[in-house]
Amino acid sequence: MTQGALHGMRVVDLSDERGIFGAKLLGDFGADVVRPEPPEGDPLRRRGPHLGGDGASLWYAFFATSRRFLTIDPGRDDDRARLQQLVERAEVLLTCPGTFAIDLVDLEAARAANPGLVHVDVSSFGDSGPWRDFLAPDLVAGALGGNVCITGARDTTPLKWFGELNFMVSGIYAAIAALAGRRFVRKGGEGQRVSVSVHECLVSCLEHVLMFAWYGERMGRGRVLPRQGGTHWSMAYTVAPARNGAIMITPTPHIDAQLAWLIEEDAHGDLLDPKYGAPENQPLLIARVMQLMREWVATQDAEALFHRAQARHSPYGWVQPIERLPENPQLEARGWWSALQVDGQTLRAPGTPFALPDTPAAPRDSTPLSGDELLAELGWERTR
Amino acid sequence: MSRRPLEGLRILDFTHVLAGAFATRVLGDMGADVVKVNSADRAVGHNNLDSPFFMMWNRNKRALALDMKHPDARELCLRLVEQADVVIDNFAVGVLDRWGIGYADGSARNPRVTYVQMSGMGEGGPWSGFVTFAPTIHALCGITHLTGVPGREDIGAGTSYNDHQAGLHGAFAILAALEARERTGRGQHVDLSQFEVGVNFLGPSLLDLFGNGRAARPTGNALPYDVAAPHDVYPCRPQGEGVAGERWLALACLTDAQWSRLREAMGDPGWARDPAFDTAVGRVGAKARIDAAIAGWTRGRDAYETMMLLQSAGVPAGVVQDGVDLVEHDAQLRHAGFLSPVDDPDPELGPTWVDRLPLHFEKTPCDQYLRPRRVGEDNASVLRDWLGIDEAGVLAGEADGPLR
Repeated sequence: MTQGALHGMRVVDLSDERGIFGAKLLGDFGADVVRPEPPEGDPLRRRGPHLGGDGASLWYAFFATSRRFLTIDPGRDDDRARLQQLVERAEVLLTCPGTFAIDLVDLEAARAANPGLVHVDVSSFGDSGPWRDFLAPDLVAGALGGNVCITGARDTTPLKWFGELNFMVSGIYAAIAALAGRRFVRKGGEGQRVSVSVHECLVSCLEHVLMFAWYGERMGRGRVLPRQGGTHWSMAYTVAPARNGAIMITPTPHIDAQLAWLIEEDAHGDLLDPKYGAPENQPLLIARVMQLMREWVATQDAEALFHRAQARHSPYGWVQPIERLPENPQLEARGWWSALQVDGQTLRAPGTPFALPDTPAAPRDSTPLSGDELLAELGWERTR
Repeated sequence: MSRRPLEGLRILDFTHVLAGAFATRVLGDMGADVVKVNSADRAVGHNNLDSPFFMMWNRNKRALALDMKHPDARELCLRLVEQADVVIDNFAVGVLDRWGIGYADGSARNPRVTYVQMSGMGEGGPWSGFVTFAPTIHALCGITHLTGVPGREDIGAGTSYNDHQAGLHGAFAILAALEARERTGRGQHVDLSQFEVGVNFLGPSLLDLFGNGRAARPTGNALPYDVAAPHDVYPCRPQGEGVAGERWLALACLTDAQWSRLREAMGDPGWARDPAFDTAVGRVGAKARIDAAIAGWTRGRDAYETMMLLQSAGVPAGVVQDGVDLVEHDAQLRHAGFLSPVDDPDPELGPTWVDRLPLHFEKTPCDQYLRPRRVGEDNASVLRDWLGIDEAGVLAGEADGPLR
């Protein structure tokens, strides 16, 4: 049987929202990820949505795939000893400040006993600094991290990204840190702690925001661009209402091909005016093309236009509502979906975000793990 | 000088624009020897050093000029593949194959090499040949539809989120494939679909769709599934005209205790004492009234001072920061030295800044930042280090060979 790329890597997952996506990725690609939880259950199991309204957390079902859940009672000596042994036998420890059971682990002793341990700690703002202890759930993290200011339209407030997108950035950075740290150990280096700041992770993923703050004056457009809805900062991509929905349209990468298409459709307006041919009028040309495209698109069916555009190698994107994804022919053809057991039901579920064909893997159902089972499996002594 | 965690790793980098280039940026920051292949013909627009967009994603890479149309380019490339751990591209599917340097040819010469193909739609399937940029992927994967306010479909994320994420997934994929190689002794061909990377981000909502038959819709700044209020952005005292002068403060009370602390920090106003507001359900039910009252309190206040007041009281609050805020006012980034100039800027381009790797390795700090390079600037050092070609050989290749 083929095993996932990370088969054999032992990970202890003491993360919260800020790092849990990283633990999921490690597990989905084959690592053995043990997630301790208190007897009353992991607090993240309370995150919505829930199956049937009040059943199992579907949020948790997604983020806590491919785990083995180990109940740790902080009041029991043997449970605390097991947790310590677990960390001392792990290759990777993933933590977030304040999460369950961190204070039960003697990290110094674990590192002394396990010098190859890579400990990745994902915090909101890093280990020190004036904001170190700030509280930063998703909305606040996105605001301080610079992405809220440029999301939203002129006639809305600034907006957060939907769902959990901020912490999926810090999560994957954490997974990268874990594997880079492990590679260093494999090449003869020592284990180490890696501190990951959510704030810095988000600031590193701002595309044009820092670019204009640094180079905007040179680019002639100022240092801060406003939020402008579905229009890209380059002004060459925008989301336009169509007859049945909306579509992302763009004259890139070949504006002449788009011009030819507009002429074919008799939607080219005054674009044949020689003034638009002058190189210095390129911004004027793009603005006029976009205006005419919006008028033309308003009369078109969004899905049909998307396919016509792609047939011409134009990178339009139909704004798909989520309910169209299950029937998407590309995901279907690539066999992308997986399945998970939730409250005894088999649900279709997302697959892995990329394929490693020689070591295939998929998100796996998580299972409970008893402390004795764990010790027996790893050949540990019941007590030391 | 301390070692960095990925030193010794050799990456032959055919990426361009953002997604692929971000993958190799992260790996280069951690010490991998990233050789970025470009050519005088291809170095236009955002694929050229003159573009700040190029400068943002291409530090810590050496630049090799290679004109793939030259008859000697393929063999030189395959010799480089023999020395590489990783070959990566984010072209449309099949470009490297057409150049005769795809995975089949490369792995025949070096079975340990891993190829990462970061195409828009992945290899195979009816949409495989589709042309995509980040706004295309956002539209198709649901991010555009869901990031916005109820009743609108034309907003979406304000940055190319999925480009960055595809890059990070590409970096993770490379490290996972290298881990597998320790066991199997072989590289493999990683097939990364940027569309699938994007769809995966909607995981909980997809399970909600499959399990409950409920299709997610945009919720503005409210949480889509959890009950929390107040949870929005609130206007503060403007610092200029128009949108650019707006100041906003994000506030997210996730617990009743945080609401109590907010009420106290606001001076315990009468409107906030309504017993209906003691529970999150009650506050969500009165969202419009509460939001208007909080906005009345924040409107005349300084955004940063209010954030400090609330955070010191234990209330999650943060200024909606823009780029200049991050560069000039963010005390935390300044403390960390996160945004800094490179030591050796290109003499013609002037000052060049970097946002540093957000991973702080305790024993192998990643604090070296090589400025973005001109096409072919490192021909000599790359070909010497990887292939042992001497200076005369490089000069000949630059004069009338493929090194252009």
